Amino acid sequence: MSGILVIQEERGQGRNRFSYEALAAGRILAGLTGLSLETAVVGDKNTPILAETSGVPPMTAYAVQHPQLKHYTSDGYVLAFEQLIRKLQPAFIVVPHSYQSRDYVPRVATRFGQVLISDITGIETGPTFVRQLFQGRMNGSYRHPGDGPCFLSVQAGAFQVDSAQGGTTTILPFEPEIPADAVRARPGEPFRGSSETVDLGSAQRIVSVGRGIKSAENISLVQELATSLGAELAASRPICDNGWVPMERQVGSSGQTVSPKLYLAVGISGAIQHLVGMKGSQCIVAINKDPDAPIFEVADYGIVGDLFEVVPALTEAVKGAGH
Amino acid sequence: MKIMVAIKQVPDRDAQVRINASAKWIEESDLQYALNESDAYALEEGLQLKEKHGGEVIVVSAGPERVGSTIREALAKGADRAIHIVCDDIGERDALSVARLLAAAMKPESPDLVLTGLQSEDLGLGQTGVIVAELLGMPHASLILQVEKTETGVTVKQELEEGWFQTIELPTPAVLTIQSGGNKLRYATLMGIKRAKTKEVRQLTATELAVDAAPVVVLERITLPKKQKSTQMLSGTAAEAAAALVQKLKFEVHVL
Amino acid sequence: MIVLLPTLAEPEHFSMVEKFLLTGLVAVSAWTFWHRFGLVLDKILKSKKDAGFHLFPIGKRVRDFVWEVLCQAKVVRERPLPGLAHAFVFWGFCAFVLVTLNHFATGLGIGFLDSAGLVGRFYFYFAAAFALACAVGILGLFVRRFLVRPKWLGEKLSWESGLIALLIFVLMATYLASFFVADGGLAVWILWWVHTLALLTFLPIIPHTKHLHLVLSPATVFLSRGGFSSIPALSGDEDFGLVAGTDLTQLVSLQAYSCVECGRCTEHCPAANTGKLLNPKEIILGLRGYLNEYGPAAEEPLLGKYNAQQAAFQCTTCGACEFQCPVGIEHLPIIVGLRRGAVNTGAWEDEYGSKLFLALERGSNALGLSASERDKFIEKQGLPIFDGTQEYCLWLGCMGSYDPKGREIVVALARVMSYLGVSYGVLRKEKCTGDSARRLGNDLLFQQMAEANLEAIAKSKVRKMVSICPHCVRTIQEDWKEYGTPPEIEHHSEFLARFADRLPKQKVEEKIVFHDPCYLGRYRNVYDEPRTVAALAGELVEAPRHRERSFCCGAGGGLAFLGEETGERVSQVRTAELVATGAQTIAAACPFCNTMFRDALAARGEGAPELMDIAQLVARELPRSKDNFCSGP
Repeated sequence: MSGILVIQEERGQGRNRFSYEALAAGRILAGLTGLSLETAVVGDKNTPILAETSGVPPMTAYAVQHPQLKHYTSDGYVLAFEQLIRKLQPAFIVVPHSYQSRDYVPRVATRFGQVLISDITGIETGPTFVRQLFQGRMNGSYRHPGDGPCFLSVQAGAFQVDSAQGGTTTILPFEPEIPADAVRARPGEPFRGSSETVDLGSAQRIVSVGRGIKSAENISLVQELATSLGAELAASRPICDNGWVPMERQVGSSGQTVSPKLYLAVGISGAIQHLVGMKGSQCIVAINKDPDAPIFEVADYGIVGDLFEVVPALTEAVKGAGH
Repeated sequence: MKIMVAIKQVPDRDAQVRINASAKWIEESDLQYALNESDAYALEEGLQLKEKHGGEVIVVSAGPERVGSTIREALAKGADRAIHIVCDDIGERDALSVARLLAAAMKPESPDLVLTGLQSEDLGLGQTGVIVAELLGMPHASLILQVEKTETGVTVKQELEEGWFQTIELPTPAVLTIQSGGNKLRYATLMGIKRAKTKEVRQLTATELAVDAAPVVVLERITLPKKQKSTQMLSGTAAEAAAALVQKLKFEVHVL
Repeated sequence: MIVLLPTLAEPEHFSMVEKFLLTGLVAVSAWTFWHRFGLVLDKILKSKKDAGFHLFPIGKRVRDFVWEVLCQAKVVRERPLPGLAHAFVFWGFCAFVLVTLNHFATGLGIGFLDSAGLVGRFYFYFAAAFALACAVGILGLFVRRFLVRPKWLGEKLSWESGLIALLIFVLMATYLASFFVADGGLAVWILWWVHTLALLTFLPIIPHTKHLHLVLSPATVFLSRGGFSSIPALSGDEDFGLVAGTDLTQLVSLQAYSCVECGRCTEHCPAANTGKLLNPKEIILGLRGYLNEYGPAAEEPLLGKYNAQQAAFQCTTCGACEFQCPVGIEHLPIIVGLRRGAVNTGAWEDEYGSKLFLALERGSNALGLSASERDKFIEKQGLPIFDGTQEYCLWLGCMGSYDPKGREIVVALARVMSYLGVSYGVLRKEKCTGDSARRLGNDLLFQQMAEANLEAIAKSKVRKMVSICPHCVRTIQEDWKEYGTPPEIEHHSEFLARFADRLPKQKVEEKIVFHDPCYLGRYRNVYDEPRTVAALAGELVEAPRHRERSFCCGAGGGLAFLGEETGERVSQVRTAELVATGAQTIAAACPFCNTMFRDALAARGEGAPELMDIAQLVARELPRSKDNFCSGP
């Protein structure tokens, strides 16, 4: 038993941040335990993420290769990483908490008689691992007292990607044995949610407009902001009633219930009919000229100001940020 | 199709959770409990499959006596019968031990499909279903929104990230962990509650199932998070506030 | 002294043939009547017994009977002209009972009223006066039905109504004409026989047409369930509401056959007036159609051929129909009963409805918000927690707890209470009263909410409650009774009105129009108190439809939580009416009305009147010092 194995996931350009965060968590753990750090990723030695993290500890990286691993399957990954872990015998396995890891890592852990401590947000001396309970209303500190490897998955955004340190990384190939009939699932190609019909319910970002917009001509202002954010346009009931925005884009008790990652409410005061339709949003931003508007009660970020100034400025800022 | 649905009773979303004297768990007296949300979706999926293809839906739940009310709720919504694994030490068991209980209770039933919720609202470990699949030696798929029966198994729609989805074909028997929101849930009815009174609830114990409680990971203590959600007001000129917001969205919320 | 006046002429002699003929005709007429009426009676009597029906105390029943049936008060009050015409016809009929009996008796040679005698003379004149009024009345009603044709009487002209009108007119005309012909002549013989034939034709028509109400509606009024919109408790393990014919109770069947198709319910129904499928008259006639085709023992679903599920779920339970009905039909228990049948068995599938029920199943409120939001509001406003020492428990309700606008009303009321030096506190935890679940027919949920609340309130030593929400007040006071003893509760308009002389009279030239909430007005009979309170803040004006005739805002019956309406929005129709009064302020007394009008006013854009609850109207004149803000005396 030695070492910390960080399993990264290659997702393509600009989408690997959660793997770097797992690596950062691995480094914190290495600092606390004095154990060495290794990494592994499915792919060959030219896999971009290996190049991106080259020269940054860990100094040893395993490129896990097998034709059966071309597409992600739980069965394939379980076999591959079970074998790698048996070979390396790490004390800790750290993975990003992604849809992939939560799909296969618990199975790998079971094969070692272990339990994944999932979605951790902090590592403290001991080491103990902090994760959220009761949907964030409590924190729990977990310890792994027994023998055998300790499996951890790292919550996205919980660990800061740290600055690089100089050095060279050795990339070693690892070829697991995966029998032809071992993979039972047949995955199809990933696809986007249908975009023909308005489905605010599954939209990731929504810009919603309310009475503060004053007239139909001004809707374009908000539409531009939505476009720059890659967001869907939505509206409160009076706006849809006036026909300024189509009825199927109404958010609220008599319209749709939404839970996007970002809900930007422009000129919406926050009547209850509206609030119940968007309260499940992960991040709520409100722009309103009335500092007492109820919408600010539920907002994570608020800007008190004239939307006719703030919205164009925000559109510019978003474009400037290269989104 | 014989469908088994593993359900969990969790503290009600609205319940005020307080840390108990040992600081290892919450104060359980006076707490209200409810069916875990994604388990409700797993149950709904099971019921809809049964309504379409016939068969039987059996709910399985592990926990103390109080779990009975949640089991009855599931029966009221349309499950045919239930297995209650009575264990008072459910709080001390880790996900592996709980999954062993569930798997041991399920195995003799030889189900065609095992459904669980994606994760629980209290612990949120999100792995019990996957471990059950491993223990039963069945293939599995997680984060499932839709299930279609095929000749040899099921085709499922899996949620990936950021609005991406994937279709997976699986042979049965298989285990699926169900994501919330894929179906419309049904409400409990008076008729359902009355009919549920006559449905079978078989009680099993951990001893009968020969599963010990020794955990491999230990929850040492629980604490209150430092800061509750509050509104950050961004001030300055329109341009300044806009710039500040973009920074926040990029680096704090990670949505840009 | 009365010799100068003509006397009622009668044929002098009836031959044996005539007597046999008369007896035969009466028998045929009576048989034809009974052939149908017996069937109807059988369907009513074979319907399920009304569990929990009590004839006693009988005093109120007698009073209602005298007032509504004998005095025709409701008929006249709600539609004065046609009502009066109807009343004359009705009173004419009453006066004619004796005349008619004597008429047939005379035919058989055993007449008991002597047209020459003092009593007979007097009575015949008495009846003649009514006959005249009745003839004029029926003529008026004929003109209305066939020439004026108000739309709620239905598109189709009913030939039976025409025939009935003709028969009644003939009866009266022949009677009156008999005063002007000589005894024993041909003329009187013809009049006598025409009168007789008209009577014998009239009798069998009664049970075959809506004129069945002549016979049934007095019973319907007398046997009413009592109370307004009183929803009967379910009885036994197999009662889920009105699912099939077997669930129709005797009262429901009696009411279904009593409907006179006058369309007053439709005329006042917010759903029927805004282009929805629901038409309360058709609901009742649907049940009648069902009973006619399937009968009370049928398993055929009630929501199907004769009544649409969609219609049943468009009802705002405003109660205008039940309030208006002149023959004692209780629409709400029927409409809610049909909903119960659909919801309690899971037959109702509605995205928004399911969402509401699931929110109530899992959480504490109809809005699906976390209870901690309520805690935060209480903390932020510094509302005192009820601990048994305060006089009043201020019940917040879902809207008062979570709706930003409802919260403003609560805060305003709290300020007024503090100003008045009345101590109060709010409960640490509240669950929804179950109003929406109750009206939508979800008995399981309603029971759970009522029981949980009753238990919590019993523990908290609450004596008196006050609430800003008429729906909460009604549900707590009346509907919870099914599961325990509710605390005493009043609406804040009642509370404020009691203190009106201690509240500042505002010197503003402001026209205020008060909208009567259905659950305060028709459900609770509170009309003056909120006006007393609103009048403190300005000059009251009335909307065309007010008090008992107030038009719904569209939110009741759980509809505030359901999806978009078909047709026009009820809230916008009502808002337009309130705006048209020219008032600068719309005064509301219900947070649901408030939220409906808020949206409707928003859609109207600039220049719309202000919308305030009566508590806010009072509070705006109070000193804003922190000392008396929610701190209690």
